[in-house]
Amino acid sequence: MPKAFLVDTTRCTACRGCQVACKEWHNLPANETKQRGSHQNPPDLNPNNLKIVRFHEHLDDKGNVVWNFFPDQCRHCVTPICVDVADMAVPGAMIQDKATGAVLPTEKCVHLSAEDARAVAHACPYDIPRYDEKTRMLTKCDMCIDRVSAGLLPMCVKTCPTGAMAFGDREEILALAEKRLALAKRSYPKARLLDPADVNVIYLLAEEPEHYHEHAAFV
Amino acid sequence: MTNHWIDIKNSDAVLIMGSNAAEHHPVSFKWIMRAKDNGATLMHVDPKFSRTSARCDFHVPIRSGTDIAFLGGMINYIIKSGSWFRDYVVNYTNAPFVLADSYDFKDGLFSGYDAATRSYDRSKWAFKRDAEGAPVRDFTLKDERCVFNVMARHYSRYTLENVSRITGVSQENLMKVYKTFCATGKPDKAGTILYAIGWTQHTVGVQNIRASAIIQLLLGNIGVAGGGINALRGEPNVQGSTDHALLYHALPGYHNLPLAQWQTLGEYLKANTPVTHLKDSANWWSNRPKYVTSLLKGWFGDEATPENDFCYGLLPKGEKGADYSYMYVMDKMLHDQMRGGFVFGVNPMNSFPNTNKMRAALDHLDWLVVGELHNSETSDNWRRPGSDPSKQKTEVFLLPSAHRVEKEGTISNSGRWLQWFDKAVEPGGEARNFADMYVPLINKIRELYRTEGGTFPDPLLKMHWTDKYDAAEWTRRINGFFWKDTEVNGKLYKRGQLVPSFVNLKDDGSTSSLNWLYTGSWTEEEGNKSKRRDPSQTEMQARIGIYPNWSWCWPVNRRILYNRASVDLNGKPWNPAKAVIEWKDGKWIGDVPDGPWPPMSDKEKGRQPFIMHTDGAAQLFGPGRLDGPFPEHYEPAETPVETHPFSGQLTSPCYKFHTSEFDTFAKPADPRFPIVLTTYSMTEHWCGGGETRNVPNLLEAEPQLYVEMSHELAREKGIKNGDGVIIESARGTVEAIAMVTIRIRPFEVMGKTVHLIGMPFAYGWTTPDCGDSTNRLTVTAYDPNTTIPETKACCVNIRKADKLTEIA
Amino acid sequence: MDCTRRGFLKMIGAGALCLTLGQFGFDLKEARAYARSLKIEGAKEVTTVCPFCAVCCQVIAHVKDGKLVSTEGDPDFPVNEGSLCAKGAALFTMYTGEHRLTKPLYRAPYSDKWVEKDWEWTLGQIARRVKDARDKDFIQKNEKGQTVNRLETIFSMGTSHASNEECAVIHQAMRGLGVVHIDHQARV
Repeated sequence: MPKAFLVDTTRCTACRGCQVACKEWHNLPANETKQRGSHQNPPDLNPNNLKIVRFHEHLDDKGNVVWNFFPDQCRHCVTPICVDVADMAVPGAMIQDKATGAVLPTEKCVHLSAEDARAVAHACPYDIPRYDEKTRMLTKCDMCIDRVSAGLLPMCVKTCPTGAMAFGDREEILALAEKRLALAKRSYPKARLLDPADVNVIYLLAEEPEHYHEHAAFV
Repeated sequence: MTNHWIDIKNSDAVLIMGSNAAEHHPVSFKWIMRAKDNGATLMHVDPKFSRTSARCDFHVPIRSGTDIAFLGGMINYIIKSGSWFRDYVVNYTNAPFVLADSYDFKDGLFSGYDAATRSYDRSKWAFKRDAEGAPVRDFTLKDERCVFNVMARHYSRYTLENVSRITGVSQENLMKVYKTFCATGKPDKAGTILYAIGWTQHTVGVQNIRASAIIQLLLGNIGVAGGGINALRGEPNVQGSTDHALLYHALPGYHNLPLAQWQTLGEYLKANTPVTHLKDSANWWSNRPKYVTSLLKGWFGDEATPENDFCYGLLPKGEKGADYSYMYVMDKMLHDQMRGGFVFGVNPMNSFPNTNKMRAALDHLDWLVVGELHNSETSDNWRRPGSDPSKQKTEVFLLPSAHRVEKEGTISNSGRWLQWFDKAVEPGGEARNFADMYVPLINKIRELYRTEGGTFPDPLLKMHWTDKYDAAEWTRRINGFFWKDTEVNGKLYKRGQLVPSFVNLKDDGSTSSLNWLYTGSWTEEEGNKSKRRDPSQTEMQARIGIYPNWSWCWPVNRRILYNRASVDLNGKPWNPAKAVIEWKDGKWIGDVPDGPWPPMSDKEKGRQPFIMHTDGAAQLFGPGRLDGPFPEHYEPAETPVETHPFSGQLTSPCYKFHTSEFDTFAKPADPRFPIVLTTYSMTEHWCGGGETRNVPNLLEAEPQLYVEMSHELAREKGIKNGDGVIIESARGTVEAIAMVTIRIRPFEVMGKTVHLIGMPFAYGWTTPDCGDSTNRLTVTAYDPNTTIPETKACCVNIRKADKLTEIA
Repeated sequence: MDCTRRGFLKMIGAGALCLTLGQFGFDLKEARAYARSLKIEGAKEVTTVCPFCAVCCQVIAHVKDGKLVSTEGDPDFPVNEGSLCAKGAALFTMYTGEHRLTKPLYRAPYSDKWVEKDWEWTLGQIARRVKDARDKDFIQKNEKGQTVNRLETIFSMGTSHASNEECAVIHQAMRGLGVVHIDHQARV
C-alpha cells in the first residue's frame, strides 16, 4: 500500500522542527548562510536541506497581513517523472519503492552525467531534486524510508508539533485531507488541496498557491 | 501557570499578549490549535505580526509598553457592558471589601506617595475593618467605597478613545478583542491569557500581570479549565529554579529573605505569618512556621534544635529595602564593590540591558567563575572586541558543564509538573553537572575552615551537606524526611523516612524539607512520583486532560490552581462539561481541590477558594504591590510621547534605575531617538543564543542579527530589505541587517506617527560575524517590585550603514 | 529531449505519463538498502527532557555502546506527544557540537589566552579565593549592631538550566557562605 503525507499549512507555525529534524536524522551538515532580509534560511533546497520551510507574506484584499508557511519537500509523485527521465540516462538512478511509493535516488546517480542529473532535476514540476556536484548524487527527501520500513513515522512528521503533518496509507491520508479541507474552508474559503491525485505529499493551502511558493502546485 | 499546557485546549478564547507563543513555546501551539479545533478564537495582541499571529484568528498590533492602557480599557468594557460574572466576583474576590478613607487616587498617583524616595506608604491602601479586625464587606456592592465601585471609577477613564490614542490600536481592533474575550464572562465559558516576558520586562511589568488578573477574575476565568493566567516561562527550569529561589529575596518555597530587623526565628515568623479574622478564610500561609522550620532542619540537620532557633542565626540577613538583584550586582561591580562571583548557565554580557555598562562592570572583578557548555560573551568578556586583554585584571575560571542528556534529576515545567530525566550518556570530556562543581568546591572551602580557621565558619561547618552529590538523594531531601519516629494516620514513620505530604510538616524540628511545595513528590508508599508514566484518568479528568497519574505536580498534585473557584457555593461546577472538581456525595472528585474543606455553603467548615490570600478572596484591589493597588498606565522609561491621556504622571513614579555614567536616557519624545525598539527572541535561538549559536543546524536557519521594520519607515530612512543598518540609542549602537516587512506597521499615537522596530537579542560576538548584543541599546530601568529591566521598550534611531564591522 | 519543467508539462498534455516503473523491470534492492541502515536499531532508549523552554518536552535519547546516536520526541508524553520544535529537534547536534567545552579553562590576569587545567587545581584555586574574600569581607554585624552574617562581595548568577536538585545545592551553598547577591533568569 503506497504511503502519503498530508501537509496542512493552515496548521503550520513554521517552527522548522521538520526542517531541522530532517537534517539531524540524515546527519546532514549545516550550510553557511547569511541574513538577507528574510526568515527563509537556507534560501532554497540544497544537498544539505532536503526539506525547508518557505515564508511568504502579503496583504489580503482587506489589508490584513497574511504570512504563509510552506514546508517544501519532494512530493513522491504517484508517477514520478524524475524516475522516468533518469532511466533514460542511467536505469535505476532514481527508483520508486513499490512498498511505500517513496521516490529515491540510488547509488547509480553517480553514473549520471552532470547534464543528465540536472535534466532529472529540471524535470521535476515542483523543483525539488538538487544535484550535489561533490558526491555526484541527486538529493531529495527519501521519505525516511529507513524509518518507515521499520514502522516509524518520517522524522518531519514525527516532529511536527501542531498536527500540520500526517503520514499514513494513501487512502487514509486522502480521506484525512478531504476532512481537513472541509474544516479549513470554514476559516479560509479559498482553501484547496494541491494535486491530490498525482502526488503522495498532499498540501492543504488556505489560498492560491502563488501566495506560498512558485512551485507549490503542478499547474 | 495557574493551569498547564494541555489545559489550553479547554479554552473558548485564547488571548496571547506579551508572548509570541508559536515562536518561543512552539509546542504550546499543539494545544492552542486544539482549542481552535474546538471552536476557540485565538487572538494575538503584539507589536509585531509573528508566527503566532499567522495562526491566530486575528492579530492586533500594539505599541510596546502600553499594555495597561489596553487592558484597562478591557476592564472598563467589562464593567460598562456588564460582562462580568457576578456570582464569582461577589463571592470569590475582594470586590465587596470596603476601602479605608486613607485610600485615594489623584492624577496618576495613589495616596501615600513620597517623591523623595519614589515610594508609597502602602498602609494608606487599607481596607476598612471592624472591631475584631475583619475587613468590612458589602456583598450588595452598593457601597461607593467598595473595591468594585472604586475600581469602576478608576478605569472609567480608560475609554476607547483614550486607549486607542496611546496604544496606537484602532478602536475597531480594541472592540474586536474586548468583545471576543469578554464573552467568556459566562459560567460555561473560559478564556485563557498566555503571557511571557513581553509583559514582565517593563517598568510596569508586575502591573501588566495584575491587570490581566483583574480581567480574569471579573470574567470568572481563574480556577476553571481553559482559563487562568499562564506565564509560559521561557527557561527550561525557571519554574523550579524560582521555587527553589535562586533569587536574593526569597528562601526556597516562597519565604521572604530574613532581614536584619528579624533577629530571631520568632521575630521572622511573626512578621511573615499572616493572621486572618475571617472564619471562612483558610489563610494557608498561617502554616509558614512549619515550612520554614522544616527548611532550616533540612539545611542544618541535627545541628538545628529548638534551643538554637534551628540555626536561624546562621542565615545571612539582608537590610530592609536593599536590592541584591542582578542589576544592583552589576552596578556595585562597576563601583568596585564586588570581588568575585559565579555565573552559571546564564550569559549576562549578552542578555542584560545596557550591555556596554555590564561589560565594563565585569572588568572590575578580581575573579570570575563561569559554568557553561561553550565559551560565551561572559566567559570571554576580557577579550571582547575593542578590549585589550593585557589591561584586563580579571581571573576567569571556565568550568565545562554537562548537557541535559548527561545528567539526571528533575525539572518543573510551566504547569508545575515535576519531570524526572535520566542520564543517557556520560558527560563529554571532563564536563560536570553543576552540583558536581559546587559540592566539591564547598567541601574544599569547609576543609580550609577546618584546617586554618577563619571568619564565622559555623554556617558552612554546621550545615547538613554531603561528600558526594547524588541527584536522587537531593530529590528526597527536597521532599523531606522525618527526624524522629512519627505516627501519621495510624502509620509509623521512622526517622529518615520520607514525609508523605506537606500537611505533615512540623515546626518542632521533627521534619525537614528543602521545599514544602515539593513534599509528597517522593513517598515511601509510591516512590519517586516524578517518574510516573501512567496516562490513566477518570472520565471526568479525561474530559479536560489533567493526567493526574503522569509525573506529579506541586502543590499536592493539583493540576489547576484555585480550582475551588471553578464551582459555585454548593460545590457544583460552573461548567459541568469541563468540570475541574465537584462536591459529590460528601467529597470532592476530579482534580485535587485547594484544600479538603467542604464548599462555602457549609457555613461552619466551608472555606473561600483563594486560600493563599490572608482573607481568602482574590485581589481585584492589590495593596501588596509597591507601585499601586490598581494597575495604572504609565509610559515606558523612554517614551516617544510627552503626554498621555490618563494623568500628568508620564512614567511610573516608582520605577528603579541607576545613575552611573552609562545609565543615560533619552528624554520624553526625544527627537534624537523617535523610534520605539522592542526586543525578542525566535524559535531557532534560545534567549541570548549562547547554546543555539553553537548548534550549526540552528545557526543555519537564523544566522545573523536582523531588525524588522515597516516599509514606511524603510522608505523614510532610505533603507532597503537586506541592507546593513545601524541602530542607535542613548546608550549604544548596534549593527543589524534590515528586514523590511508588512508585519510591522507604523502606529498613530497621540496624533502623530510613531514607528516601531523589533530586534532579536540572540546574537553575540563570540559567534563570528553574526552581530553583537542588541541589549547594548536597551535601558537600565526596572520594575520596582521585581527589578526586572525594561528590555521590551526603549527609544532609538536607525540609519543605513556605510559598512558593517560586526556582521559579515 | 526537453526535460525542463515546462517540457514536462507539455508531455503531460501529450499523455506521455504512460511510462511506469514496472515497464523498466528493475529490482528495488537499493530501496531496501536504505531501510537496513536504521541508525537507532538496537539502541537503548533513555528518557530525558528538552533543555530549552519550559514546555519541557520529553525526549527519547537513543544510546548505543554508551554513545548518543539520535534524539527524538517521546511519543508517550501527554504534553508534546512525540513532537519537538527546531531547537528540540537539534538536541543531537547540540550534543555533538564541536564548540563544546570539555576541560576546565583558566585565564590568568592580563593574559590573552585560556589554559587547560584539571578540576583539582581549579576548584582548589576557587576555594582559596572564596575563602579569602569571605574571611576579609564577611559582615557579622550591621551599623545598627544587628547580627547579619552576610557576605556582600561575592555574587551568584544562574541558573534556570539547573535541575531542582542542583538549585537546592546552589541555594544552600550560597546561603552557607552568607551570599545575599543571588539571582537568575527569572529576572531577565
